[in-house]
Amino acid sequence: MSVRVQIPTPLRPSAGDQAIVEVTATKVGDALNHLIEIHPAMGGKLFDNGKLRRFVNIYVNDEDIRYLDMLDTAIKDGDEVAIIPAVAGG
Amino acid sequence: MSKTNWELTEADKDRYSRQMRFGAIATPGQTRLKNARVLLCGCGALGTVLANTLVRAGVGFIRLVDRDFVETSNLQRQVLFDEEDAAQGVPKSVAGAKKLNQINSLVTVEPVVAHIDRGNILELAKDVDLILDGTDNFEIRYLINDAAIKLGIPWVHGGCIGSHGQFMTILPGDTPCLRCVFEAAPGPGEAGTCDTAGVLGMTINIIASYQATEAIKILTGKLEAVNRDLVYLDCWENTFRKIKIAPLKGKVDCPCCTHNRFEWLDGEQGAQTTSLCGRNAVQIAHAKPIKLDFELLTKNLAHLGNVSSTRFLLRFSAEDCDFTVFPDGRAIIKGTDEPDRAMALYARFIGH
Repeated sequence: MSVRVQIPTPLRPSAGDQAIVEVTATKVGDALNHLIEIHPAMGGKLFDNGKLRRFVNIYVNDEDIRYLDMLDTAIKDGDEVAIIPAVAGG
Repeated sequence: MSKTNWELTEADKDRYSRQMRFGAIATPGQTRLKNARVLLCGCGALGTVLANTLVRAGVGFIRLVDRDFVETSNLQRQVLFDEEDAAQGVPKSVAGAKKLNQINSLVTVEPVVAHIDRGNILELAKDVDLILDGTDNFEIRYLINDAAIKLGIPWVHGGCIGSHGQFMTILPGDTPCLRCVFEAAPGPGEAGTCDTAGVLGMTINIIASYQATEAIKILTGKLEAVNRDLVYLDCWENTFRKIKIAPLKGKVDCPCCTHNRFEWLDGEQGAQTTSLCGRNAVQIAHAKPIKLDFELLTKNLAHLGNVSSTRFLLRFSAEDCDFTVFPDGRAIIKGTDEPDRAMALYARFIGH
């Protein structure tokens, strides 16, 4: 399944300066793994000892994976996975 | 929590006539605004836009709290200040209140020059109907969240960097709280800051205007109109994302709103030093404020040859850093973004 992963501005330097990366996956966790295969620098930004970092939120079609099935959340062709860290300034 | 029951005067009806013609506000809504009390945390970029909007809209009482003073680099986005404020280094809440009084003398603005911390936030918030986030860091937002949940006061969060920003409304007992949605904040260097990415005045105006709209809905009692999503937008990339967060309520095991553990209020979390967004500066604050003797400090630092002071602050430069010290012992050390170095410099030049 081809899905689009939205990369937030602060993480784009770790993703070849791209805003969207196309990956192939059927679950959110696989989509992130595929993203990290393409852009290894994203690994440390998203995961810490194999666990999703606590300040990184992942959304599938604007729904939070924490009330879906976390990294096992199923995704299908055309879905959009968004990585959104908290915005600190103001 | 409003303690007053003022009716609208003829002057009110004239001044707010365009807003009152908006059906969802009308006379009952405007009357509620007149009797409403708001705590505005921060009078910087978001804060000045929020204050400007709410004072013009006729919110009866605003407590405006900020720890900082006006600088020229603020003027690009902090709409209440001018070059004279920057030249004089006036405290932001004082400069803001002065301008706001000129804008609308029918409402009350109470300026407070203070660093908001766990020692004063409950006192600042205890008699208000709503808390607004005009701050620039997550340390203080978690503290606001603790206080708001503990006191049962709604609050509206907003944050901006570069051309993107986010806002969300927290209604205690009803919506998820900030900690349900953001379990932790990025550490230094882990995400963009105003330092690395800058910030556009337009982003600030957009996010603060949404926050102010949420505030007006809450204060006029129109809770059904409140935005229950986390909104994330980028005004340069033309994106607007509404993230459904309502199902997080009760789903995540939130220390704050599920278990009533207020870790920032109780001092279990929270640092003594804060890196200031976009400033290459560190703030140092004491858990318990002290009282600094400016006269003595001026004398002790005389050998530096560059000490100046007003009753609000004392300034000097040393070790390629600019120090601004406040009577409560708080200091902003500009020229470093390393909390440890800032602490060492503080100890060396100010003591305690």
